[in-house]
Amino acid sequence: MIKIYVTGVPVDDQEKALKFYTEVLGFIKKTEIPIGEHKWLTVVSPEEQNGVELLLEPVAFEPAKVYQKALKDAGIPGHSFMVDDLKKEYERLVALGVQFSMEPKEVGTNMIAVLDDTCGNNIQLIQML
Amino acid sequence: MPSKPKTFFEQEVERIAEQHFLSKHQYIQVRQSKAFMEKYYGENIELENIAAAACMSRFHFIRIFKQAYGITPRQYLRDLRMSKAKELLKKGVSVTQVCSAVGYGSISTFSNAFKRGIGYSPLAYQKMNKSNLE
Repeated sequence: MIKIYVTGVPVDDQEKALKFYTEVLGFIKKTEIPIGEHKWLTVVSPEEQNGVELLLEPVAFEPAKVYQKALKDAGIPGHSFMVDDLKKEYERLVALGVQFSMEPKEVGTNMIAVLDDTCGNNIQLIQML
Repeated sequence: MPSKPKTFFEQEVERIAEQHFLSKHQYIQVRQSKAFMEKYYGENIELENIAAAACMSRFHFIRIFKQAYGITPRQYLRDLRMSKAKELLKKGVSVTQVCSAVGYGSISTFSNAFKRGIGYSPLAYQKMNKSNLE
C-alpha cells in the first residue's frame, strides 16, 4: 500500500516557521532531525497526529526562491489547510496579528481566506460549507 | 480608509466564481444535504432521504452534488462515517459500538468499508493508535 505521509512548505527560516506554524496556526511539532545546516522539521494537526506531516522545508535553491516570490506577489496560495469555522479562525488569527491578503469569501460550496505565513508563503484556509 | 487592492489570486477567484457553474439556490440545496448527512450519519439514511433534504430528485441530486463537491453523496457519506469512526476508535470505543454509531447495520459491512477506506481493519487501527499513544 502506498500513502502520502509528508508534504512540504518552503520557508525562509525554519525556526521562525516553527514558531508561526505551532504558536500561531496551532500545529504540533512532530519530528526534528538535524541534517547539515538545516533540519528535517515537521508539524502535524493536533487532530491527526499520525496523519500527513507538513515539512517546514528550507529554501536553499535559488530558482525555488524566485518561484516562491512570484506566487507570494500574486497572492496565490501554495498550500491550503482546512478549518471547521473559518470566520472564527480568521478573528482569532487577526487578533494575533496575522495579515490576510484575502478576507473570508464564500465561493460555491467553500469559504476561503488567504494569510501570510511570514516565511514567504500565502496560505489558504478553507471551510467546506 | 481605502480598502487594500485585490491580489491577482482574489481577482481570479471572483472571475471564476462569476461563471456560475451552479445557481446560488442549487449551492444552498446541496449544502442542506451535506448538513443533513452530518446530522444523521449515525442513522440508516438512504440516498432518497439525502436528496429530499436538498429538495431534488435522486438523479438530479447526485449530478448536482458531484458538480459541487467533486464526489458523489454516497462517497461523501462514507468518508464522513469513516472519519467519525476513526475518532471513536481512537477514544477506545468498541468496534461494535462504533459500527452502530456511524450508521452501519452489520459489523462485516462496516469492517470491509473501513479497511477499504483506511487501509486497516477497525481493530488493527484501534490497536495501532493505542500503541502510538503509549
